[in-house]
Amino acid sequence: MSALKLTGIVKRYGSQAVVDGLDLSIGAGEFVSLLGPSGCGKTTLLRIIAGLTPCDGGSVTVGDVDMTALPAHRRNIGVVFQSYALFPHLTVGENIAFGLKARGTAKADIAAGVTQALKSVQLSALADRPISALSGGQQQRVAVARAIATRPRLILLDEPLSALDRKLRETMQIELRQMLRDAGMTAIFVTHDQDEALVMSDRIAVMNRGAIEQFDVPERIYARPRTPFTLNFVGLSSQVQGRVERKIDDLLWVRTAHGIVMAPAPAPIAGDAYETAVGSEVLLGIRPEMIAASPVFGTTDANASVAGSIEPRGDSVNRISMRVGETVYRGSNRLVYFDSSLKPGVGPLMAELPAHAGPSPRTGDTMTLSWSVRDTLVFPLVSTLETTA
Amino acid sequence: MSASNAAPSRVAWLALPGAGYLLLVFALPLAILLATSFQAEQGGFSLKGYTDFFSDSYNARVVWNTLKTALTVTGLCLLIGYPVGFAMARASLPVQGLMFLALILPLSVSVIVKSFAWTILLRSNGMVNQLLMALGLVDEPVKLLFNERGLVIAAVHVFLPFMVLPIFTVARQIDSRMKEAAATLGAGPVHAFLRVTWPLSLPGVVTGCAFVFSMAVSMYVIPALLVGDRYQTLPALMARAYLFMRDRQAGSTMAVVLLLIAVAVVVGNTVLTRRLQARGRTLGDAA
Repeated sequence: MSALKLTGIVKRYGSQAVVDGLDLSIGAGEFVSLLGPSGCGKTTLLRIIAGLTPCDGGSVTVGDVDMTALPAHRRNIGVVFQSYALFPHLTVGENIAFGLKARGTAKADIAAGVTQALKSVQLSALADRPISALSGGQQQRVAVARAIATRPRLILLDEPLSALDRKLRETMQIELRQMLRDAGMTAIFVTHDQDEALVMSDRIAVMNRGAIEQFDVPERIYARPRTPFTLNFVGLSSQVQGRVERKIDDLLWVRTAHGIVMAPAPAPIAGDAYETAVGSEVLLGIRPEMIAASPVFGTTDANASVAGSIEPRGDSVNRISMRVGETVYRGSNRLVYFDSSLKPGVGPLMAELPAHAGPSPRTGDTMTLSWSVRDTLVFPLVSTLETTA
Repeated sequence: MSASNAAPSRVAWLALPGAGYLLLVFALPLAILLATSFQAEQGGFSLKGYTDFFSDSYNARVVWNTLKTALTVTGLCLLIGYPVGFAMARASLPVQGLMFLALILPLSVSVIVKSFAWTILLRSNGMVNQLLMALGLVDEPVKLLFNERGLVIAAVHVFLPFMVLPIFTVARQIDSRMKEAAATLGAGPVHAFLRVTWPLSLPGVVTGCAFVFSMAVSMYVIPALLVGDRYQTLPALMARAYLFMRDRQAGSTMAVVLLLIAVAVVVGNTVLTRRLQARGRTLGDAA
């Protein structure tokens, strides 16, 4: 039995569907992130689950109870708001006690519940402080304590860390996950910050235009994105379009603006949309840390040594020589852009090189880029929607 | 010494014109009023004004009338104005603009004109009575003029904007997430209102009540036109002392008494609310 099951959720504003027939099922104790750009419907979905926004279709089931028709105050679903929405006229302790009082909990149990909740967010000393006397990080913790004090079936968090500065945010990411895990909470966490989602989640649901693009563990969301949207939204990647020229077993030879690139044929998932027959258009993506770059002397012909010229094996390597464009120093590594001045519509190739490996490559140097064929991500393009130069 | 140290005191100078004006037109006359109330006809100190005032039991009734009417008007204004203030705060901008206009525009009509209009509406064959009878709510005309009923109706109409505006200002500042947060914590609409919305709106309520009460307790034109001598309030009595009896000491004494009542109620109201707020907290913890 899943802790939360969403079936066919639809929400329209006027004629526009903000959430469009969305299904999602979350297990008990899971920490799930809804990750997507602003306007993708993630906050609307959160409000529908909480009962703060009515949905136009579908059902919300928590445990084995259908909650679709219940008002928010009868759902027992905790919410941590982006702005915290702490009650300014109450102290820290009173804020946390609010939910218990609303339920008519006995006096002794309220005191015990408040103490327990304060302890779990390490704010025991601040029970009598007014909200205005707290720092942003402390307010954030009070909001969490208030939401978990009533032992809700589910806790929803709407970008709760976005108001904090970066250092504190990174600390709170770990702390928050720890707090919710210790409390045994099933949590849904809305964020537009991919790093936050990768750091915190058991599973990530990538949302785009009111639908879920991919729902998977962080490792696969990053390393095996199923759609170009996920590839784009999570992490950096070099992207180039091409046409499949040859296909042998499950290996593709793709003609791109950078020359021939070999790629593994993706397993067909949903019929025509994933067609990678010879002649079809595909988008290739490569994560920058998968690309190794080494200096080349002599030749500057970009297509001089291409993996496609030898007989392929699964562990084959793509190899391309290119000129260094921009180099961006990022502390532990350098991000090197290659030949960005190709043609319009062709993105640069990016390689992430460890900063300790040596001095920065100079602009105009020629380097050989190589990456494993199986690290090349392939996305079939629907040719009627996409046009290539 | 530094600019930042000098800044607050320099800003304080901005209050000078206003403070000077108030000193001249308010504090000074008040001092004269106070002095007059203790001044015998032939000059010299006298408590006669106060002993006369408090020894007359008729005055006690007038004070009671004045207080009762002012409190009724304030209560009704709050009852009607509170939801209006919130509706206005949550309305879309064009609607809010219209409501604002509807509230402010009547202020440009003189109280005298409004009171006369009410005498026409409220008389026994006036529109209000015709409507009540046409609807079958009453069999014969209700007496609405020359008594407290009509006075309260008209006064609520005149003073309502002064209740709505402060409540609107406070309601606008209450984050709509507050109500949602209360709901997600399991609070139904009533609990959420009593524990969140109402306490957060108290500053506006206190201000609105202070405005309306101090105006209602000292209103003169409305009772003069709608009630006449049959239902006496302190301002009317005071005016009679000055204008007909030419008794400056009696008039000044009543003015001082009225002022003290108004100040006491407004200050008392504020203090009590603060205390209730604080007590509500600790009680809430104990409950």
